[in-house]
Amino acid sequence: MTSVAVALDLLREAAARRWFLALALALTGLLLLLLTSLRLEVVDGALAATRLFGQPLVHDIQSADVALRPVFLVASQLVFWGGLAFGVLSCADFAPALLSPGRIEHLLSLPVRRWELLAGTFLGVLALALGSAVYASAGLVLVLGAKTGVWTAWPVVSAALAAVAFGSVYAGMLAVTVWVRSAALSAAAGASLVVLGLLATHRRTLLDLMGRGVGRTLFAGLTAVVPPLGKLADAAGALASSAPLAPGGLLRLLAGTLAFAAALLAVAAWRFERRDF
Amino acid sequence: MPAAFAVTSLHKRFRTRFGRTESVALDGVDLEVPRGEAFGLIGPNGAGKTTFIKCLLGIAHPDRGAVELLGRRPEDPRSRARVGYLPERLALPGAWTPRAFLASVTRLKDLRVERAGLDALLARVGLAEAGGRRIRGFSKGMRQRLGLAAALVGAPDLLVLDEPTDGVDPLGRVEIRQLLAAELARGATLFINSHLLSETERICTRIGILSRGRLVRSGPLEALTAVQQRWRVRFAPGPPVRAEALLALGFEPSAGGGWELAAPDAVALNRALDGARAAGALLVELERASRDLEDVLTEALAAGAA
Repeated sequence: MTSVAVALDLLREAAARRWFLALALALTGLLLLLLTSLRLEVVDGALAATRLFGQPLVHDIQSADVALRPVFLVASQLVFWGGLAFGVLSCADFAPALLSPGRIEHLLSLPVRRWELLAGTFLGVLALALGSAVYASAGLVLVLGAKTGVWTAWPVVSAALAAVAFGSVYAGMLAVTVWVRSAALSAAAGASLVVLGLLATHRRTLLDLMGRGVGRTLFAGLTAVVPPLGKLADAAGALASSAPLAPGGLLRLLAGTLAFAAALLAVAAWRFERRDF
Repeated sequence: MPAAFAVTSLHKRFRTRFGRTESVALDGVDLEVPRGEAFGLIGPNGAGKTTFIKCLLGIAHPDRGAVELLGRRPEDPRSRARVGYLPERLALPGAWTPRAFLASVTRLKDLRVERAGLDALLARVGLAEAGGRRIRGFSKGMRQRLGLAAALVGAPDLLVLDEPTDGVDPLGRVEIRQLLAAELARGATLFINSHLLSETERICTRIGILSRGRLVRSGPLEALTAVQQRWRVRFAPGPPVRAEALLALGFEPSAGGGWELAAPDAVALNRALDGARAAGALLVELERASRDLEDVLTEALAAGAA
């Protein structure tokens, strides 16, 4: 319960930050723009015509749910990669602010266990990421559903997957901050994990291209543990666009991602318990 | 009386990243503060006062020694639940209102948040009118008052206050002193770390002097400030008394027309007073000669440096 209280405090703090106000305004504006400017003509379940800002968009007549698949696919990739980039930049300061002199002493004097502070911060950021991703995707589903009559929850599930992917990145950012209290370093760690996650996606191909040596071993070791974010993004896209997924593939990906995040959080908690403030 | 806290042989060194010892913050401190007492810890900058508080509350880990806080280890949240702490430089969330901040502290103390209770706390520290304002517009004194209100959440058994009147105007200091007196009357223990000796003298009944990580003096304020075996004496300005007679008895003139007397025990004191009375002097005032806390601190630091 204490971790939940810490997480709620983080959300209150986020609500006062310009980053998140800007994000909420931008997402709301975009959804309102789609709601008012996009005109879809659906006849007997088929998308007959589309107009955006009054201009007709040329496409074949096809079933509305099939026609929306690429839209949801693009939206899922925007939420996934855009969310990762935005999250790394906007959430880099939360943990350093928590550990700032004068604040951490006060928090540690309260009947709060150290790991609860860390867990609360992680949960708060995860809730923020999940809330933003779900708001954007659910808004899109509602707008398109209202205009076409096609209702699907998969884009929302896909957005949740993006939030999980960001959670693994944020666990790394948090672990780095527990060692060195720096927002810049936290953001750098997040960006590095995203890049490593992309490289891990193409691990086998890249290893085949590399000559034997320490660099190859290091790369092999690092990319073996970092979640392959590209594969997660592909899975999110497949979910959003109702495309088939390899059986068990998503579960394995999710299990690996969660294990990675849990390991980083355990390291962060170990260090946090021993640190003096 | 059970102790509010007890520390035994507390050692703390700060090290560089490469493990070399940078400074010795605490070098074997032993201290026990009984419940219901107002204890003041004084000492120069860098003496280890804040580190002592951090070790006491589990914010920093001592290298050696034992800490017992309200009968438990400081790492136990149940002990910290009964403690109110005001850090030296409390960082407050600027975008929040004082009410929201106090509500957060109340929740983290696992207590029920009630608007009336929060408002009463704000009124106690003189912030009744500022409850709905953003903290970022607060002056240093107002922030200090809010920090004090946060320390008072849940009526703690032990109040640990690091420079509680820092940045507060003289009238505000009087209010804070009254508030702390009320907490003491309620039964709370006060542990105050302050560089303002006059403030410490007015609030605390026991004092500890920390110098270079060592507790060089500790005891009741009266005992520390008293000059052993020395008395201040005042005689009635009636019949003239020959100064020579008093000087012969061992009295020494002091500032303000009084006299001072060095007497090793009650017999010697009464013998001198009887002699003065026999010489025609009428005793109107007798008190143990005392020094202010500044003199005690200066002497203790000089002794510690020697």
